Amino acid sequence: MAHHINTGVIGKEFPPFVVTIERGKIKEFARAIGDDNPFFLDDRVGQASEWGDIIAPPTFMTTFREAAGDGGDFLRELGTDISRLLHGEQEFEMHRPIRPGETFVCRSKVTDVYEKTGRSGPMGFVVRETAVTDRANEIVATIRSVTVVRL
Amino acid sequence: MKYATTYFDDVKVGDELPPLVKGPLHQIQLTRYAGASGDFNPIHQDHEFAKAAGMDDVFAHGMLSMGFVGQLVTDWAGAGNVRKLGVRFAGIVRLKDTITCRGRVLAKSGKDLVDLEIWAENQRGEKVVTGKATVAIPPRG
Repeated sequence: MAHHINTGVIGKEFPPFVVTIERGKIKEFARAIGDDNPFFLDDRVGQASEWGDIIAPPTFMTTFREAAGDGGDFLRELGTDISRLLHGEQEFEMHRPIRPGETFVCRSKVTDVYEKTGRSGPMGFVVRETAVTDRANEIVATIRSVTVVRL
Repeated sequence: MKYATTYFDDVKVGDELPPLVKGPLHQIQLTRYAGASGDFNPIHQDHEFAKAAGMDDVFAHGMLSMGFVGQLVTDWAGAGNVRKLGVRFAGIVRLKDTITCRGRVLAKSGKDLVDLEIWAENQRGEKVVTGKATVAIPPRG
């Protein structure tokens, strides 16, 4: 196991990927949380709402990932593997709700990598930011995440 | 009342959101969340894998707890009104844990923006999630 994290990945930009919002995935996601909100689950309530359809719960964008990739290549580049990861922080900044059928482009980059020693020993921190834009190239959301690597 | 309509005019700094209690958590919910979210890290599913990784047992996805906190906020502020939701994962959520999500109004600004302090704690009162949210709540009339 590497004892340092590869800070050389700071600034790395991942290839942009496209996501299309599926109606069933929104409902599956809300139900997995145990959230019965009809604005996430009930098509008729959605149609009658100001958005004209159901909308996704605020953390739904965590499902935005590249279908082809398993993230393993990036973890190897960092010098770690999936068993060493903890989720440190997560933030969604959203400009509007998202609905079934919408297509977005996600552009992710590594904005910072650093090490700190905490209660449970040395830790690496990987900060990533993802910009989510719609077909009109308007920014819909910015996602920030901090992944903790147990070194 | 669940999904009550909250108006900006009626919100006061210091107001507390109605707490949301989730759990006790069982493996099946972590498995279901893995499928729904696409996060199939075996550390949330496979006891042997978790042990080999130096953990006592499997534990919940941080994002599941963030989902609970998101529900706390949307139950109170309305489903489409969240502008920002940010958390730090302060502690591991284990099987059989019961999570209580809480929130409090920190500030009001503009014509509809409300800043919230949000957190989630386990049955021992230990904070497992801490964070902030900003919601846009319609004014009355």
